[in-house]
Amino acid sequence: MRTTLNRVLLGLIGLVLLVVGLSVLVGSLDMQRHWDFTMPGWWPFTGPKDVLLTAHSRTRYRSDGWWWPVVIAVLGILLLIALWWLFAQARSRRLRQLRVDSGDGQGALLRGRALESVLASESEADDGVEWAGARLVAKRGGPEARLVLGLEPHATPRDVVAGLDAAVLERARTSAGLDELPAEARLRAVRHRATRVS
Amino acid sequence: MSGTDHGPDPEEPEPTVRLPALDTEPADRLTKTATEPAEPSGALRYAPAAGEPGAVRAGRFWSGRRIPSAITAAVALGLSGLFLYDVAAVRADRDAMAWRKTLADELATRHLDNVWIIVGAAVAAALGLWLIVLAVTPGERGVLPMTRRDPRGVRAGLDRHAAELVLRDRAMEVAGVRWTRVAVGRRRISARATSHFRDLDDVRRDLTTALGDAVGQLGLAKTPNLRVHVQRAEKKA
Repeated sequence: MRTTLNRVLLGLIGLVLLVVGLSVLVGSLDMQRHWDFTMPGWWPFTGPKDVLLTAHSRTRYRSDGWWWPVVIAVLGILLLIALWWLFAQARSRRLRQLRVDSGDGQGALLRGRALESVLASESEADDGVEWAGARLVAKRGGPEARLVLGLEPHATPRDVVAGLDAAVLERARTSAGLDELPAEARLRAVRHRATRVS
Repeated sequence: MSGTDHGPDPEEPEPTVRLPALDTEPADRLTKTATEPAEPSGALRYAPAAGEPGAVRAGRFWSGRRIPSAITAAVALGLSGLFLYDVAAVRADRDAMAWRKTLADELATRHLDNVWIIVGAAVAAALGLWLIVLAVTPGERGVLPMTRRDPRGVRAGLDRHAAELVLRDRAMEVAGVRWTRVAVGRRRISARATSHFRDLDDVRRDLTTALGDAVGQLGLAKTPNLRVHVQRAEKKA
């Protein structure tokens, strides 16, 4: 969700910068004359002797009553959007608790951190995993697990992932009574020297 | 599976409409809050997350682009705040800040063929292009997606550096290899090794077999091509 938002906003801002930069360059380098094409009549930058913003166009609407309120409102909206976007980067969607259906009509509340530490320690108990970190993230469909694993020397990544699938996540799903627990895992390196076995 | 352990409680009001025979598991999905209505699980499972391709196909990991977004947002915040403050100050009958007068003056007097304008426009265009590239490319080039056996399985990615270390360890086990360096790219793995005994061709063959097996055991979604170079180690002086 945040990924989409970030990418859309970055793309929009990039597009605006690109278009503005290129259109100024068209005027600066006098491309219309060199490459023999004409821009429509409303095009602001026609030749190298133009300026970016004339005093006239800057002050054109100044006498109108709506001008300053609109300028201030637009700036304020931009400010709020930027502030909200900035804070969205710091926000973490970490899951605080989830309800476990015990089957007798009474639910139990399970702290997200408890499940996280169980996931991490069970992953560490897995063969080939030196250290592990786990996060539970609240997604629209329910919780999602994010694991980071440090691979031991001489670990087999394929088997590590198979172990995660078969044991760790399966048990977490069962014990938390979740129908499914989507999970992402990143396998990292643990720095070690090259050693000869023989 | 968890669902078979405890059937839905008939006394509890069940907000979910059960789909007949579509899914063998009970549809009483537990969600993090009780207020959220549970959804039938089948449809949800195959919904790809934002920016990510379909579920079973091991797609690339997509970066969240947090840092570029934070920087861009901070710059936008600073600029709009500065302008807003100054415009409001002028409205409150105070003097505009000097930079804004200079800026307005420069914008109105510098011609477009001025070198500063050209450089500024080029920088803006390049920056815009860069932001667009950031927006549309997946990023996370250091992570190689691994195969995923079924849609419920973990979506795993192997760091290229971790793959390098695994392959290096395997290469060091081959008899005759004294030194080795493995570079794992997104599409190609190249292993260089020096050998201090045995016939070079034998070492090369053994190394290729060992690394081929090891690459298979990485469990990557797309197996990169493997290139092996073996050289004779220089005699110690």
